Amino acid sequence: MDINDILQIIVAPTTAAFALAAIGLNFHYGLTGLFNMGQAGFMLIGMYGYAITVSQGGSMWLGILISLVGAVLFALFLGWPTLRLRGDYLAIVTIAAAEMVRLIGRSQWLKEWTGGNTGLRGNQFKPPFENLSPFQPPRIVESGPFSFHTTTWWLMLVAWIAVAVTAGLFWRLSKSPWGRVLKGIREDEDAVRSLGKSVYSLKMQALIIGGVLGAAGGVVWAHGNAVQPDSMGRVTTFWIWTMLLLGGAATVLGPILGSVLFWAMFVFIKQLAPLILPDLPPQQIEPLALAFVGVGLILLIVFRPQGILGDKREISLDA
Amino acid sequence: MPDMKPNLFANVEAKPGSAKPDPIIVADGITRQFGGLTAVDVDHFEVQRHAITALIGPNGAGKSTFFNLLTGFDSANTGTGTFNDMKLDGMSSANVARAGMVRTFQLTKALNRMSVIENMRLGAQHQSGENVFTAMLAPLWRKREDEVTAQAEELLDRFQLLDKQDDYAGSLSGGQRKLLEMARALMSKPSMIMLDEPMAGVNPALTESLLDHIVALKDEGMTVLFVEHDMHMVRRISDWVVVMAQGKIIAEGDPHAVMANPAVQDAYLGSHHDTDLFEERA
Amino acid sequence: MRDAAKTELNARQFPLRAALLTTAAVGIITVMSAVPARAVELSTEVADPVVGAQTNLFLQNLLNGVTFGLLLALASVGLSLIYGTTGLSNFAHGEQVTFGAAAAFAAVSAGIPLIWAAVIAVIAGGATGWLQDTILWSQLRKRRVRPMQQMIVSIGLALVFVNLLQIWMGAQRVRLSVSIEERTQFGPVAIGPQTLISMAICVVALAGVGFFLQRTRMGRATRAVSDNPALASATGISVNRVIRLVWILSGSLAALGGVLLALYENTSDFSAGSRILLLMFAAVTLGGLGHPFGALVGSLVVGIVAEVSTVVLPTPDLKYAIVMGMLILTLLVRPQGLLGKKERVG
Repeated sequence: MDINDILQIIVAPTTAAFALAAIGLNFHYGLTGLFNMGQAGFMLIGMYGYAITVSQGGSMWLGILISLVGAVLFALFLGWPTLRLRGDYLAIVTIAAAEMVRLIGRSQWLKEWTGGNTGLRGNQFKPPFENLSPFQPPRIVESGPFSFHTTTWWLMLVAWIAVAVTAGLFWRLSKSPWGRVLKGIREDEDAVRSLGKSVYSLKMQALIIGGVLGAAGGVVWAHGNAVQPDSMGRVTTFWIWTMLLLGGAATVLGPILGSVLFWAMFVFIKQLAPLILPDLPPQQIEPLALAFVGVGLILLIVFRPQGILGDKREISLDA
Repeated sequence: MPDMKPNLFANVEAKPGSAKPDPIIVADGITRQFGGLTAVDVDHFEVQRHAITALIGPNGAGKSTFFNLLTGFDSANTGTGTFNDMKLDGMSSANVARAGMVRTFQLTKALNRMSVIENMRLGAQHQSGENVFTAMLAPLWRKREDEVTAQAEELLDRFQLLDKQDDYAGSLSGGQRKLLEMARALMSKPSMIMLDEPMAGVNPALTESLLDHIVALKDEGMTVLFVEHDMHMVRRISDWVVVMAQGKIIAEGDPHAVMANPAVQDAYLGSHHDTDLFEERA
Repeated sequence: MRDAAKTELNARQFPLRAALLTTAAVGIITVMSAVPARAVELSTEVADPVVGAQTNLFLQNLLNGVTFGLLLALASVGLSLIYGTTGLSNFAHGEQVTFGAAAAFAAVSAGIPLIWAAVIAVIAGGATGWLQDTILWSQLRKRRVRPMQQMIVSIGLALVFVNLLQIWMGAQRVRLSVSIEERTQFGPVAIGPQTLISMAICVVALAGVGFFLQRTRMGRATRAVSDNPALASATGISVNRVIRLVWILSGSLAALGGVLLALYENTSDFSAGSRILLLMFAAVTLGGLGHPFGALVGSLVVGIVAEVSTVVLPTPDLKYAIVMGMLILTLLVRPQGLLGKKERVG
């Protein structure tokens, strides 16, 4: 049992990336009640937007701009037909749209831009950000139980600051009159319409903000891993949902807590499995851990939909 | 009995679609069909300003549908209408509310998962904090929020809900939630309030106080239109009654005259099937 | 007041729309088969056809589309039935399909002949449906867990199943039958006996479902529950029994679909059903959520569009992206699908 592995994953860029995506989903579902089942699609749009721009010669800032604009356009594309429809229709459209992005991204058709099904390698898009790192020269740095390469330390610094800023944004907005209207929409749209509010445009705003955060999470994730369309499928979206529900939807810290606990428990189960089931072949450990994620999601949604930090009285699960 | 003020309806004819001296709503040729069924077919309809009008009729008369058409929650197949001389055609329910016509719902829509005071604050208009960009900077909307809170507390006090302001609306009794919905609708200082069966499911002890609140609205200069089955309420507080049956307006008049109208009695009791309703009225 | 509401779909318009669609499809086919088809790299996910000198690529793709559509229909009709009777969008349905192939493979590996292995798989599939409803879904209904919550439960279940299937089957591809199908040329198209038999099985099974729904008492009860559970219950129908039967039926049909799909694609793996889940959703949505006949219509459209589109797409691996686009377009333009009623939406 290696506690260091668990500690490492808690602060790792992947955890921060998913925290960002989960905060984005919190705007969608926690605040507004939108069943966005395509958050992985937003992450993918973010990472493609950034990586393609940079790999084709653009600057880092242009890359960020393109990825954010891409997220906004994707949100508009998703929201325009479906924000007027019932909840499970939005769920199906968002899944289909995210899948479409993945299929197009991994296809041979756009291979010279997206790298097809193998995606884009790190050296094609990571250097501009990595070169900004103040931790020179590049080497492994140990601090307490943590041991990372300097580029990872740099990425973690930026990523976790972004998480803190977006958590603050969620706090500020959810406590504002804007947040109040969305909470009303979450519960009963007709009531809110009868009070003179433009329900459709408010929902679209939430969709856009949450989507942009998903894209930001995607950019961070790509820097910590690579641009790989098959890693951003339906299952990834379901993980983000699990994290959000685990930590507590509609709370400020819930998504962050959810991401941290999710990855910590994932590593923990992977370490525990060979001890309890010594005959289990190593390549089956990860599927076993993921099966537990599924069980966890079921138990959460049935018995404790408000998660760890949530308030039961506030949770709404209606379409 | 309406109290002793100049009778606004002194010179109004007691017939369907009659003209009113100062109408706040005027509607023409409104029809609504569902499949093959005509739910509403109203030639002409006017609502007098600063008065309490009741819309009554047997089940299936089309009252609720007509109500939804007027408030923008449903779209008519044909017809036009104005509210305060503003065209209602094509107006969404949100815009109708912003124009000054608010409504309540038969199945009370108090937002149960929000506190009473938050429900009230939601009812206010012109809160710049509801704009996502302004929302990010608290000082920009703080002042308006304080105004809204003060107005909310005043209304809650009037409806005797002030001590419950921090409770979740879901924890209130059914009658209290009805009062909350009404109080919330008043936050935007509307010129007209449309009540959808306000007495539905209200216990008798609360009925009197609810009636007093509605009459008080008229005293403040609001126009009230309500759909009801409760004849006691209709007789008690309405200045004018409109009767619908089978999608059409079959009678209008002051509460007592209308009740005595044989056509109205037929519509409710279903006797005299062989007689044409419209002939009776002539 | 807003102007002119749209008219609603009349039950009598279903056959008319289906006929119009078929006529339009036939018309397009006739026009396109006159267009010389260029040699395209055919998708590796469809069994490679024998490209004889006379094979018209377009018509071959059309036939492949119809074949795949029938298989998809068999796999997805259960999804539609479950949505119709319980309102649940079952995200674990893909794994029901994989399970059929996995169970058949396990039986074949134990030495059981293919036919019997398929029968075992179908029975096992029905059993998993029964188990799911008994242990999980009926309990959730009793606790009045809301539809969206149940949808998320099905998502969790999908995660559990797909990973358990991976543990059971391993990560490699498996073959149900070692024989390679020999295709015969029929004019402009080529097809093999195994595929023809599979198609026949699909047609028979789907006809059986149709007969069940239209002519049997239990089938009529199923349609009543789909339409209005409260009313059905009030007329004495045991809604829970109907739903349990639907789960068993759905599991069996999905398993059969899984076996036939595995045969059609020559190989299968733990994610086979998962990969077609969204295609099944597209089919069911396009046909009309809750209409079993809609699952057939939708599946055929999905299959044909997917295969025929490879003729014009820049690369054939985009064909499922086209189907996703079609799904989104359907929800945009006609959310109730081809056969659905307008009230089910919004």
